[in-house]
Amino acid sequence: MHESDIHDLSDDADYAVASKQGSSSMTRADDSKRSSYSDLEDAEIVYLKDNVTIHPTQYAAERISGRLKLLKQGSSLFMTWMPYTGQSSNARLSGRDKNLYTIRALSFSDIQSIRRHTPTIGWQYVIVVSSVCAGLAFPPLYFYSGGVREFLATIKQHVLIVRSSEDANLFLVNNFQDPLQKTLSSLALPGSLANRTPSSSSSPSYGNLEDKYTSADGHLSSMQQNNKQRQKSHDPARDISIQVLEKFSLVTRFARETTSQLFRESLVDGHGPNEKRRTNWASKEHQSQEMTSNDVEIVPKKVPVPSDPLEFDKLSLVWGQPRQRPLGLQEWSTFLDSEGRIVDPNALKKRIFYGGVEHNLRKKVWTFLLGYYSYDSTYAEREYAVLVKKSEYETIKNQWQSISPEQAKRFTKFKERKGLIDKDVVRTDRSLPFYEGDDNPNVRLMHDILLTYSFYNFDLGYCQGMSDLLSPILFIMKDESEAFWCFVSLLERLGPNFNRDQSGMHSQLFALSKLVELLDSPLHNYFKQNDCLNYFFCFRWILIQFKREFEYEKTLRLWEVLWTHYPSEHLHLYVCIAILKRHRAEIMGEQMDFDTLLKFINELSGQIDLDPILRDAEALCVCAGENGAASIPPGTPPSLPIQDSSIYYQDDSLL
Amino acid sequence: MSYAYLFKYIIIGDTGVGKSCLLLQFTDKRFQPVHDLTIGVEFGARMITIDNKPIKLQIWDTAGQESFRSITRSYYRGAAGALLVYDITRRETFNHLASWLEDARQHANANMTIMLIGNKCDLAHRRAVSTEEGEQFAKEHGLIFMEASAKTAQNVEEAFINTAGTIYKKIQDGVFDSFGIKVGYGGIPGPSGGRDGSTSQAGGCCS
Repeated sequence: MHESDIHDLSDDADYAVASKQGSSSMTRADDSKRSSYSDLEDAEIVYLKDNVTIHPTQYAAERISGRLKLLKQGSSLFMTWMPYTGQSSNARLSGRDKNLYTIRALSFSDIQSIRRHTPTIGWQYVIVVSSVCAGLAFPPLYFYSGGVREFLATIKQHVLIVRSSEDANLFLVNNFQDPLQKTLSSLALPGSLANRTPSSSSSPSYGNLEDKYTSADGHLSSMQQNNKQRQKSHDPARDISIQVLEKFSLVTRFARETTSQLFRESLVDGHGPNEKRRTNWASKEHQSQEMTSNDVEIVPKKVPVPSDPLEFDKLSLVWGQPRQRPLGLQEWSTFLDSEGRIVDPNALKKRIFYGGVEHNLRKKVWTFLLGYYSYDSTYAEREYAVLVKKSEYETIKNQWQSISPEQAKRFTKFKERKGLIDKDVVRTDRSLPFYEGDDNPNVRLMHDILLTYSFYNFDLGYCQGMSDLLSPILFIMKDESEAFWCFVSLLERLGPNFNRDQSGMHSQLFALSKLVELLDSPLHNYFKQNDCLNYFFCFRWILIQFKREFEYEKTLRLWEVLWTHYPSEHLHLYVCIAILKRHRAEIMGEQMDFDTLLKFINELSGQIDLDPILRDAEALCVCAGENGAASIPPGTPPSLPIQDSSIYYQDDSLL
Repeated sequence: MSYAYLFKYIIIGDTGVGKSCLLLQFTDKRFQPVHDLTIGVEFGARMITIDNKPIKLQIWDTAGQESFRSITRSYYRGAAGALLVYDITRRETFNHLASWLEDARQHANANMTIMLIGNKCDLAHRRAVSTEEGEQFAKEHGLIFMEASAKTAQNVEEAFINTAGTIYKKIQDGVFDSFGIKVGYGGIPGPSGGRDGSTSQAGGCCS
């Protein structure tokens, strides 16, 4: 948004406050639209409702109340929603958070639909779907003081809204004051979609459509009829796309980005977008899909897939912030006081959770996230700690370096560990420039760090997978001692993943099954019926924190997000569920057995889009709330162990 | 691609004996000394022909480290064949064969065909296990035996295909029930995909 737009509204107290808070990412008018509401000072308020609230998270303290208005200017109707300022209950929310949700002068020519929701428990709310910029669903607006009916009635007085023939609570907005513009805007959301619907099967012609609607002008009832007809028979994709958008406003944090991606995807593959959409969303419950694997030995059965219980209205409403830019050096410095202490660790963690860290800053920031440095340490303390820790590292390293070949002959356990590490470091990320080539010094460093760790924590020793965890840390730290200590910090939490009896892994897989039971009981039941409840198909994901599932850079991003432990220490389990949920229709529709599922999951490697998964994972985590936390037994990694002693005690008889 | 049968294979053995390299040599006909160590399980597949029938081998390449045994055990289910691999240059990998075999016997179908492979036979100068010892172990435990090299490809093709031949013969003889064998589009009608038919009509494997 441009400042000038906001200044024009400065007589409105709400606007003035909002403009101070900075720009909004919610208002997405393009240049041509801007002029249409740049001067609303003479606009007439036709509707005003206080205590209209959004729920960015499930926490009552984070709800944002505000004032909803309908403004009439000339023949145009606008909607605004401004959060109140100075609300004590909103103390946890920054001004930026609040500002993000502000709806400034949304023209009804830019609205595609409004859906009214009347839950059995709780407040009535509406979801507004915009039609510009490939579509955007605004967060649900809860009418704490009632007034949804009046809201809709007022709109009806000023613009044409049509109740969907298929859903009595869905109101399609069509203001025919300017037929061409309306037609265009109604086409804008489905975009590619509309171009390929039967009514415009060849090349779409806006002119034709314009004619069609112009001719209907003035004949409201017949036009309504016409419009209904169009909804029903010519533009099924539109209803579906509204549902898709609304769904995103419910389950994910940034509808626009994701949906536009969805639309792009539907264009690039060979499917008609319609079919694709139907398969993905609208009727996946009733359609089985052709199996694409070569391994299919029989014609896939047609199996109805139980719907996702979190879809549409059944989900506690979640709408969060869009993912942000990674934390950069300049912003980082604002988190530090003059002596280098991190003033507000939670704010820092939250910031990193939503955006990650710029690559050149990772070396600094990871030391804190991993717990190598404490947040309240000063520059001087850290400088000193580096030296002490370096010397400590050398001492431990010397323990194995001083073992002579003669001594090693009679030290089987050492020989075996060293042999295993020798073999594994040359099989870890060797295709990366940092580790590639013969006699790569970084491979040598990895070897030394792992062997030193196996002396530092002799009970745990070395286990395959550790090199995968060390590789990115060494790549970022580029210093032997610091990489070692960061690795030590990481294994404080993830060490149990490598217990010889696999207890750490089993407890996480168990927690995962409990969470799936909570968040997607049909999927849980499916796994139960098909003997998949051990969740071994998620084993690699958890063991090495998805390291093999994403490209290297994405893994770094995911890890720093997970390490913030915001909003949960166990976000990685919600990441698992987010991925499983994205594929639930395939899993159940194709009736995958354990073997097929394992192979399917394995082959997702490199195919998972991180950002949408993170958004889903956060939404799931918020949605699960306390019930989710209660599903995870205390001490489940990466929680710090409940008691420190003997957690790494191993029955060594096997090695 | 259609096939008459699909055989599930599992490759087991200590870490670093060359399981993944054997698989890659068989499926891609290449040797890649630099590859990532296996976490959990990896998959490979190839079509072969036996008795003019197209047969698809779906091969499960498992992680070898002791810690992962409990996970690996869940992979045996439904396997028609297993390649049990050791490294002829590392004695301990041979010494651990009995424990691998015990796992296989306990968690796989009794009719699973097991091929013992002494890998890295190109490194004869560093040999720590003689061919005779390998043969002897195989004979004692009713396994097929071969020394092979994933690097030079020596006996790799044979190891996988001979195993399939043995499985195929068991089907012809009616020894096998549906275990680990799936009938494909072009195949004879018959039981498919079931994995709870734990009946084992004949105990011994051929050797």
